[in-house]
Amino acid sequence: MTTTAHNIICLRCGGEMNHHCDKLVYPTDFQDMKLTDPALGGIIEEFHACPKCGTVASRPA
Amino acid sequence: METTRPLFIPVILGTVRAGRMSQHAAQLVNLELGNRAGVQTELIDIAQTPLPTNDAGEAIKDPSFSSKMERSDAIVIVSPEYNHGYCGLLKHALDTCLKEYIHKAVGIVGVSAGPFGGSRGIENLLPVMRELGLVTIFWDVNFSSVLKVFSADGSLLDDSYIRRIDKFLKELIWMAKTLRQGREQIPLD
Repeated sequence: MTTTAHNIICLRCGGEMNHHCDKLVYPTDFQDMKLTDPALGGIIEEFHACPKCGTVASRPA
Repeated sequence: METTRPLFIPVILGTVRAGRMSQHAAQLVNLELGNRAGVQTELIDIAQTPLPTNDAGEAIKDPSFSSKMERSDAIVIVSPEYNHGYCGLLKHALDTCLKEYIHKAVGIVGVSAGPFGGSRGIENLLPVMRELGLVTIFWDVNFSSVLKVFSADGSLLDDSYIRRIDKFLKELIWMAKTLRQGREQIPLD
């Protein structure tokens, strides 16, 4: 697994999580509208999974 | 990768209607799944999942449902067909999660009183699965004319369904293993 300085640490077991997906999500309130990428029409959300325990996490890219 | 961690594949009973025959289908699939080595399962009844109906989406996430979806490696959805569609409260429950589903496998079991085995409801569910980040398998199980498949007490009257469920679960488990490897070991970049 490639590791980067930006990988998330698993809150459950302390393992380094794997960033396996980016997904376009759409804003559902005016606060989120500010985060919208004008070229993509939404917000890129990163999804991560822990190789040790399977915990998942997400954050805005 | 930790290889001893069993797969967790819950079965979601996707209807709240009284007298639902889908409960028998869900119990059967849950039983067959529980007999597989290295697989843990649980029947999740959306009728027992407390979700308000004056809001929707991740704002009303149920901690228990969310936790089970997060722990899952794949899910089975048992979806009866009502008026050519799936149950609205199934969608209401599914919409409460997102990150919990990403890059996980899903298999759909259709149920209907008529001859098409819930296939129209399944077809309606497929684009929803895709947007939720779930990966659909190409096997379905279709319980057609369900009043002839189960007795009133839930006994299976047609053994051919066991073989159909077997093929469906083999594909789902293969996909669950493969996607776990991808989620946990293969970086996007």
